[in-house]
Amino acid sequence: MWETTVDGRVLHFRLAGINNQNFIMRDDETGTWWQQVTGLALHGPLKGRQLKAVFHDELSFAIWKREQPQGRVLKPDERIAAQNKYEAADWEMRVGRMRVVEGADVDKRLAPRTLVLGVEVGEKSKAYPLDALQKQSPIVDMVGSVPVMLVSGEDRRSVRAFERTVDGRKLEFFQKTENASASGGLQLIDAETGSTWNFEGKAIAGPLAGRELKKLFVLEDYWFDWRIYHPDTSIYDIGPQ
Amino acid sequence: MPNILTRLSEWTNARRKLVWLMLFVLVVAVVAIVLTPVFLIMPFKAQTPRIMEVSYLMRRWSPLLTIIASLLILTLTIGLWMAGRWWSRIVLAILLLPVLGAAWLARQNHFEWMFNPLPNAAYAKAAEVTFVNNDDRVMAVRIGGESVAYPIRLMGYHHLVGDTVGGVPIVATY
Repeated sequence: MWETTVDGRVLHFRLAGINNQNFIMRDDETGTWWQQVTGLALHGPLKGRQLKAVFHDELSFAIWKREQPQGRVLKPDERIAAQNKYEAADWEMRVGRMRVVEGADVDKRLAPRTLVLGVEVGEKSKAYPLDALQKQSPIVDMVGSVPVMLVSGEDRRSVRAFERTVDGRKLEFFQKTENASASGGLQLIDAETGSTWNFEGKAIAGPLAGRELKKLFVLEDYWFDWRIYHPDTSIYDIGPQ
Repeated sequence: MPNILTRLSEWTNARRKLVWLMLFVLVVAVVAIVLTPVFLIMPFKAQTPRIMEVSYLMRRWSPLLTIIASLLILTLTIGLWMAGRWWSRIVLAILLLPVLGAAWLARQNHFEWMFNPLPNAAYAKAAEVTFVNNDDRVMAVRIGGESVAYPIRLMGYHHLVGDTVGGVPIVATY
């Protein structure tokens, strides 16, 4: 998701092609080709320019609505909905079985269509297999020298990542076991102060009440695609179970 | 005009052959410049940076080049038509079809036929939504106090949706 203003001019994007199964966008104003996943201009008058990323989450609708009851939601195009052409609820599973085109440079550490949660901090990037987080949440880890935490929501599918430091102090987190009061969502507790935190990374009780963790962008992607754009990525290893 | 026609009727066989050859080369070139990028950047194929650059250049210039080539082809066709018999006129007419097709296709975005844009996106209030299930996933943005959710099942169909959130123009992509 990208801001569309470049040099004070608002660009309007269309799909214009595919580059290794990732879309190319073309802007109407200059005709430049942009790689959708990176926001980088590949060819054309704005070649080399980088769109500014818009921070966003991927959440289940229930969690989003609980957190943002005043928000608005993109509506289906009625013509297309009437023709029943929108993706079915299980389409992600079907895409997961689609074939993958790989160049000579194949990284076999994971199967190509493994769903990973990609996190980038500074120069370092790390891929967390989604099923690792579904087995163990939160994941408390480091990316390079930065302490991070990945959490899955009470639906076991929504994911957020945070820098787990407050005032330069590194915090260890645990999920509260007596959990998810139906309305309030899951709760975490930090070992250092015993404060209670919610899924938005806000401390809602305890000594740190009112503080907020810095959110990190999580890109949910297939391993093969993440690897193309992050060739130096490391992989989180859940270790022996 | 009359003296052009006389000149055309005076074309020698060798000259006529040369014009036919030029015509064929131009027709092939026009079709190639339009169809090559279609094949190079097909989904489910591997692309290299070089392939992307060549495709970009062909897409960038084909609208103009197909017009110039079409005018040249038309000129040659008129010449051969005047000097030709009925069977060569049939061949000339058939050759014009791929040329016109290529000039037209150079102005189309076939990716928007395959992947359906949503130019006039509409929105509903969170509390009034009936078309999204609780466990459907959404891409969620919050800028300047304004919150928007883009259901992934819709984004997986449209892929690009332009919007302004909290006063900031953005494009939601999937």
